[in-house]
Amino acid sequence: MKASLRERLARWVRRRQGLDILPVMLLRRRLYIIPTRAGAAFGLLQILMLVAGLNYANSSALFLTFALMGFTLVSMHQCHRNLLGVRLLSAAAPPVFARSRGILTLALENPSASARYRIGTALDGGATATTDVSAHGSHTVALSLSASRRGRVRVDRLMLITRHPFGLFRTWTWVHVPLEMLVYPYPQGSLPMPGGAGERQGVRSLTNTGSDEWLGLRPFRDGDSPRQVDWKAYAREAPLLVKEYSTTASQLRRFEFEALRGLHTEARLEQLARWVVEAETAGERYELVLPGARIPADHGREHRHRCLAALALFGLDDAASGTVAVSPAERMPGSAPAWLA
Amino acid sequence: MARLTPRGGLEWAAIAFATGVVLNIDRVPAWVPVATFGFILWRLLAIARPVPLPGTITRSALALLLVAAVLLRFRTLNGLSAGTALLVLMGGIKLLETRTRRDQYIMIGASLFLLLAACLDRQGLLRSPVYLAHAWLCCTALAIVAYADSSGSFGTRAAMALAARSLLYALPLAVALFLFFPRLPGAFWAIPRSSQAQTGLGDTMTPGSITELTASYEVAFRARFEGSPPPPQERYWRGPVLHEFDGYTWRRGPASAYHPQPLEYLGMPYRYEVSLEPSSRRWWFSLDTASGAPDPRAFLTYDYQLVAAEPVTELTTYTATSYTQTRSRAEISSLARHRDTRLPPDRNPRTLGLARKLRAGSASDHAFVTAALDLFRTGGFSYSLTPPALGRDSVDDFLFNTRVGFCGHYAAAFVTLMRAGGVPARVVTGYLGGEWNPIGRYFIVRQSDAHSWAEVWLEGRGWARVDPTGVVEPERLRRGILDLLPNAVSAPARFVWSRPWLNAALERWDALNAWWNERVVRFNYEDQLGVLANLGFNSPGVRQLGWVFAAALIAWLAWIAWQLGRAPLAPMPDRLARAYGRLCRKLTRAGLGRESTQGPLAYAQEIERARPDLAEAIRPLLMRYADLRFGASGARQREAGVRGFEQDVARLRLALSTGIKRR
Repeated sequence: MKASLRERLARWVRRRQGLDILPVMLLRRRLYIIPTRAGAAFGLLQILMLVAGLNYANSSALFLTFALMGFTLVSMHQCHRNLLGVRLLSAAAPPVFARSRGILTLALENPSASARYRIGTALDGGATATTDVSAHGSHTVALSLSASRRGRVRVDRLMLITRHPFGLFRTWTWVHVPLEMLVYPYPQGSLPMPGGAGERQGVRSLTNTGSDEWLGLRPFRDGDSPRQVDWKAYAREAPLLVKEYSTTASQLRRFEFEALRGLHTEARLEQLARWVVEAETAGERYELVLPGARIPADHGREHRHRCLAALALFGLDDAASGTVAVSPAERMPGSAPAWLA
Repeated sequence: MARLTPRGGLEWAAIAFATGVVLNIDRVPAWVPVATFGFILWRLLAIARPVPLPGTITRSALALLLVAAVLLRFRTLNGLSAGTALLVLMGGIKLLETRTRRDQYIMIGASLFLLLAACLDRQGLLRSPVYLAHAWLCCTALAIVAYADSSGSFGTRAAMALAARSLLYALPLAVALFLFFPRLPGAFWAIPRSSQAQTGLGDTMTPGSITELTASYEVAFRARFEGSPPPPQERYWRGPVLHEFDGYTWRRGPASAYHPQPLEYLGMPYRYEVSLEPSSRRWWFSLDTASGAPDPRAFLTYDYQLVAAEPVTELTTYTATSYTQTRSRAEISSLARHRDTRLPPDRNPRTLGLARKLRAGSASDHAFVTAALDLFRTGGFSYSLTPPALGRDSVDDFLFNTRVGFCGHYAAAFVTLMRAGGVPARVVTGYLGGEWNPIGRYFIVRQSDAHSWAEVWLEGRGWARVDPTGVVEPERLRRGILDLLPNAVSAPARFVWSRPWLNAALERWDALNAWWNERVVRFNYEDQLGVLANLGFNSPGVRQLGWVFAAALIAWLAWIAWQLGRAPLAPMPDRLARAYGRLCRKLTRAGLGRESTQGPLAYAQEIERARPDLAEAIRPLLMRYADLRFGASGARQREAGVRGFEQDVARLRLALSTGIKRR
């Protein structure tokens, strides 16, 4: 019953606010504010003080009570203004492999001359992150997203919330930005990589064979072999870099879904993902053939993504039914947001 | 100034609670704060190092033990003192289990409760800023507790500034509500105020009791006269009247069904307002003979003493009318005569003999009084604070042996003589004199002004005041005890007394205190109506109060909304925008205004069309602006770019027709 109330509230807010297009500036119309439990208790305390002060005609108690009442009202405005005018510039979640955690990066900007403190960001799934944003400054926060299965993780709405300055009120808003994080299949499988249409079948060129063309360095990516990391550069406190060689002439591989008989679909996809990662790491050219789709041979970051994305979404309808939405049911244990207290 | 170390929520919750305890430290038995500070220290030590905190069982046992101790000490858990002691102790125990943010909020709430308790107890001028400071501290603790989490804590300085700012914003509302929030004329309920030490005059008198009192420099009450005050020798402030004598101690005796004798008032009435300091006794003081009870909280006894229905536990103000000369229109009742001539038969035989001899030699009661006073005047008596101890027959001892005494000795001896001579007489205790405060225009009557004198019944006149001390030491009637016997009072009071400038400063301070007590502490419904009348309301009442109150509230809310609401939405243009604004204004002056909807690139094209001669200089600037504004670049890079852009905008010189000049 409670969940359904929550859902109905969410639907009402969504209808009321409409869909947001980033960047979003948080204006009054979309800010909600209620006292926290501490704030309610503080109010009760003030009522007690007021009654006692009136009963005993005690001027000191009355004046202090009135000062605290004013203080509470001021803190309500301060809490509201702490979120008012903040801009959510961007929200992005780069693709990750399954069985890991993705990161949703949010960029907050404070265009005003007063600093903002303790702006919390939260997903309905429960992940929270809190940050301060200095005057005229911007700040990014990272929210952890669970990526257990391949496909899409959809985030329907984000919450921005603050209890600053005294924790007596919470001001919050929802931002409805349709966000998707692509989750590649987990790259695993023990089958040897098939040879392509070309020469040097079965040879995996993980290291520089001497004949390959030196392409340069690129940042480390998941799935890169440690053997290709430029450890010398890393020792010089450079970021983790990977040496890339062009082996275009030497290798061309074809990864076919249909060729992996004897495995069920997910295992096939995982095996294919592993091959794609390895072939890309080795700097080889590869093509991916899926039932009803073929990605012609190529190599490079873009190509790798296209292949992995095709694997990630294989068999999933592009419509919402196939996607994995973060819902309250999937709430991560042990990460109940602190501001709910 | 050294930077204050940022502290976590727990430390601040503990600090807030500890200051709440300090506010009440003198109102609870000493072991209560000692135990609580022990708990606080224990908890604070456990933050830094692995000091084990007590488990649930230990805590519960400790709590039970302390509740029992409070019960044992106060015999109740009800009442302000017992309640405060309990709150202090239980707060200390709560702190021992404080871990979460919620617990820390509870500690701050407890601290505010302690503030309330302190307010209910005392609200002096000096205490008020302390109370406000404590509220500020609690608000600071709120900010720090609310902010603190694993990622860091709010700076102490920033939190204090934030709390101070918020309270300052709240101050106008607090003042408005204080003035216009309708006060209640009466109380809904009363909690017992238990076991405060009684101060001032008691209901008994022994030879040394008044002397003890005069050592105290504390204020008994303040009195302000409407019109001119009575002369010094008439400033007798009447307190308990004592009838029963057992040879050593004088007592009030049982309350009886006597009514005040109908009196004929002679001379002019004195109307005055008395602000009585708390004494936990039921005595109200009036100048000599009050014409009636000033208000329903007190009544006038048959011996013209004002006695309150409740002990005076807080500052009490009343207005009374008194006469210093009266004549009784009725005869003394036989019961009263019997009562006020009774003496213990087996005590003070020599005094009784002396009295009989004196009475026999006097033609009338009046002559008898004069003869007795002559005895004191000529008998070699002296006035001293440190008379020798007296034996079983104390009056005999005093009259025939020591002949050194204080007012109590003289009053007791005189009344004994009168009674022995068959003249009804009684001892009156109270205060004599008072110190004039020229700034506040009132008298301060201190415990050191405590005095006792006698009243005798004279036919055709009624009860007449006789002060044998004035015969022995006439100066006492005109001057304070301090003047007369500097050793009478404690050393600090003597120190003050001997330094006129300090005394003057204290006079000012006392006047300020009196003003505070009258105008602020005792501000009530009538005063509220007075404020309304000053604002121009013809017939102020609770409804008008409500209107003004609502108007003040709305005005304040609007002010706060305006103060706090505009800043976040009216962003200061950043440096780049300001530089761009300067560039656009320069171009506008050169006749090349920008449409508000025009972006920088469109603007550049427009300028190229209109003034091809300027395009070469201006186009790159606009392009750079667009790049800085919309392009992606690192923060440091961007900052350097903005600075360069600002400089180039500043360097740009445009002439209306001649094109461009560069410096």
